[in-house]
Amino acid sequence: MYLLIAKQFIRSKVVQLSLLLLLALGIMGVLIGKQFLQKQERTLSNVTQHQQAHIARNVELHREIGLLLYYLRFTLIDQPDRIAGLSIGQRDVNPSVQSITIRTLEAQLHDTDLNNPSNLQSGNLDLGFVIIYLLPLVVIAFLFNLLSEEKEAGTWRLIAVQSNSTLRFLWMKLSVRMLLTYCMLGGILLFAYLILSLPVNRQLITFILVAILYTTFWFAFCFWVVSFQRNSSFNALTLLSAWLILAVLLPASVNNYVANLYPVPESLAAMVKQREGYHEKWDMDKKITMDKFYTHYPQFKKYGVPQETFNWTWYYAMQQMGDDESLKERMAMRAKIKQRENASRWLATAIPTMHTQFLFNDIARTSLSSHLQLLDQTTEFHERLRLYFYPKIFENAPVKSEDWKKFKPEYTRAENNINITFALLPLFLLTFGLASWGVFNFRKTNDA
Amino acid sequence: MRGRQVSLLANQFWKNAFQSTAFYVLLFAMATITGYAAYSGWQTYRIQNTIRLHYQQQARQGWENNPDKHPHRMAHYGAFAFRLKHPLSMFDVGMESYAGNAVFLEAHKQNTVNFSEASFSTGLLRFGEISLAMILQIILPLVVFFLGFAAVAVERENGTLKVLLMQGVSWGELLVGKSLGLMSLALLFFIPVGIVTLVLLVSAEIALTTDTWLRYLVLMASYLVFFQILCVFTVLVSATSRTSNHALMKLLAIWLVFFIVLPKTTQAIGGYVYRSPSKIEFETTIEKQLVKEGDSHNPDDPHYVALKDSVLRAHRVDSVHKLPFNYSGFVMREGERISSAIYTREFSNLLKVYEMQNSFSRFMGFVDPYAAIHYLSMALSGTDFESYIHFQKQAEAYRYQLAQKMNELQMRYISNVKLGPTDKPYTISHEHWKEFPDFNYRFVTTSSALRNEYLTLTALLMWSAFSFMLIVYVSKKVKTL
Repeated sequence: MYLLIAKQFIRSKVVQLSLLLLLALGIMGVLIGKQFLQKQERTLSNVTQHQQAHIARNVELHREIGLLLYYLRFTLIDQPDRIAGLSIGQRDVNPSVQSITIRTLEAQLHDTDLNNPSNLQSGNLDLGFVIIYLLPLVVIAFLFNLLSEEKEAGTWRLIAVQSNSTLRFLWMKLSVRMLLTYCMLGGILLFAYLILSLPVNRQLITFILVAILYTTFWFAFCFWVVSFQRNSSFNALTLLSAWLILAVLLPASVNNYVANLYPVPESLAAMVKQREGYHEKWDMDKKITMDKFYTHYPQFKKYGVPQETFNWTWYYAMQQMGDDESLKERMAMRAKIKQRENASRWLATAIPTMHTQFLFNDIARTSLSSHLQLLDQTTEFHERLRLYFYPKIFENAPVKSEDWKKFKPEYTRAENNINITFALLPLFLLTFGLASWGVFNFRKTNDA
Repeated sequence: MRGRQVSLLANQFWKNAFQSTAFYVLLFAMATITGYAAYSGWQTYRIQNTIRLHYQQQARQGWENNPDKHPHRMAHYGAFAFRLKHPLSMFDVGMESYAGNAVFLEAHKQNTVNFSEASFSTGLLRFGEISLAMILQIILPLVVFFLGFAAVAVERENGTLKVLLMQGVSWGELLVGKSLGLMSLALLFFIPVGIVTLVLLVSAEIALTTDTWLRYLVLMASYLVFFQILCVFTVLVSATSRTSNHALMKLLAIWLVFFIVLPKTTQAIGGYVYRSPSKIEFETTIEKQLVKEGDSHNPDDPHYVALKDSVLRAHRVDSVHKLPFNYSGFVMREGERISSAIYTREFSNLLKVYEMQNSFSRFMGFVDPYAAIHYLSMALSGTDFESYIHFQKQAEAYRYQLAQKMNELQMRYISNVKLGPTDKPYTISHEHWKEFPDFNYRFVTTSSALRNEYLTLTALLMWSAFSFMLIVYVSKKVKTL
């Protein structure tokens, strides 16, 4: 019986086509992830060599350490994990490599990576997105006529008479479809595991768990719609509209809503303010700048107020003012982005598509919050470099006295702490609720 | 073909639609979504343009308020270019959210355009945005399919098709009549969107040029053609399906493939096939070429040593301090010329890669009418790829002018005599700052937008012609039962 149902199901052209499409898109998603990782690797493979060559070249050119450090860039890297290939998230827009001088940080921190806006608009079709966006369509194609096809072909009465439980029969049909879908998903994930050489760790296991649970949610949802026992056309339209609402309209509305509720003019304010903060000091008495600088760093007070027209101590104090005087705007911007993040996450909890997208990005460390962490870490890195070089610049230490070879790119890692229970609970509750409701619906009609 | 028959059929189709409650639910749902999309588009436009104009003015004030100073300090003080939104972006957001909004323009350096909406996005942007154009491109087609799937098939199921044909209605009249009926229903949804767009445009606090009106007209005409194509195809699918159920399934499959799956995948394929460089790769290439062609910040660079010799010879002096103009200003002018030529060359190479990536989606217009209207609509709304590149190029041109203007001021007004360590630095009058105009963004004109999109425009018109040819073909071949 089970085999017969499976055979009959596989023979359908719609099923074959959907499976083929899912397979092709899944493979493409994995390859796109692979290409992303390769692009990152190419960038990172040259970074060490590039930084050392850059430093060596400038060390040869410049005799003054103050002038040298005007040019020198130091690199901080938050290397994406392999699993980022499954869910690229915000990593395409926000660079994983920060290359900075010790001058005003605010003028350097927000430089974006180079991207074709057309690619960004259509969005990375990584495997995560194939699962979130396209897999439900396959589930819908499998399930919309689960019961109605029997009714419309006139076989339902036979089944009702012959089998002792129609619900059991439906469950058999359903389980064939579920099994096949999970097998496909498993196959694609296995392919991803091999192609992206994913390490088996907590991240990967969580990703798989979320993917399975998310797929199950769609099965439960379709089962629930089917349980009202309407005809095929009605089911197809209802399910497709539901997909349109969950995967297109709601996320897009929330996105528009949040973007308009929390615009980020602070970013532009900080940008304009840092320019004034630094440049206006050129036309002011040096003492004003130095006093402010020594209030921030009392340990450097001994270097006093320079008398010459130009002096590197004064120059870097001016650069520092670019950051110090735009600090308020920068903090406001950070707070605004956090607000956006919180509002979106809160609204997403009840909407499985959006919730799963957040989970995938969190697991793969490709979310906006990962990037915010990298920005914080870059700020610390920048401060560390400043505090190391300031005394050397102020004392005009000879360039050759420094061991420049030791400045290699540094690595950091933005950690995401995911509370697994809390993350999976909304999906689980929805799935369980819908499935139970569906079963209840069938029981009710069977009893009658 | 008899006009009376056709209009009778169209009329009947129109009246039939109002009989079902589902139709009113649909009307209500569409009105709600349209309302939200319009509100959201208007809000984004208003908020963003207010913010950007505010900072453009603030940044300019900063520029003009600078006291007397050395022109090269001003070249580093620099300017900002903020990308203003086109009023039609309220209709079609296009790539707006993925394009940077502000760029800092200074001497020696081409900065990236930063602070795109996408860079602040929490990841939800991946699902797309709601706009009036998105409703017309994705949702309304689904509605058209829903309203039209039964057009002919249901007559066949009920046996009324035979009756109609026996009464002397020809297949051609039937197909055209039903298509017209469906089109009038589509217009019932489309015209309000057109009116809302008009209201939005008028409410925009910007002087509307004839160019904007031209854009609006061509835009609306393009959508009319798009819906004409959809309505004819819906009726044809209905006419060639055995039952209305079959027709619906076919149309839903078409919608999924042509409106969702294909558009999502073609650009991805383009991006996959043509590899674009990362920022670090791009900058490294430029740096290498700069070292090769002449680095003005390197005192021993052979290009500049040779330049110095030739300048000294030409003016018959033995030291740069005796030249009639400021020599370091001269060197910087040369440096800016070289570095900016290298950048422009590399940037246009980068754009070529991007255009190759985009070419897949462009040609998709011939396979998928959705792709055609999608690109055409963005171009006409000033929110497409070309518009963004147009901004970047204008900003770079302004940056170059600013840097060279400051270099020329330095050459002319700054003395060639080197100052002692405690001398007051050379300055020029602040009057010069106001003389240099602010960055003023000009939108792409309608005609050049259409020139860029001639391929998609052709595709759309081709689809329309094709749909009429199919009517003729089907009316000859189709069977009644």
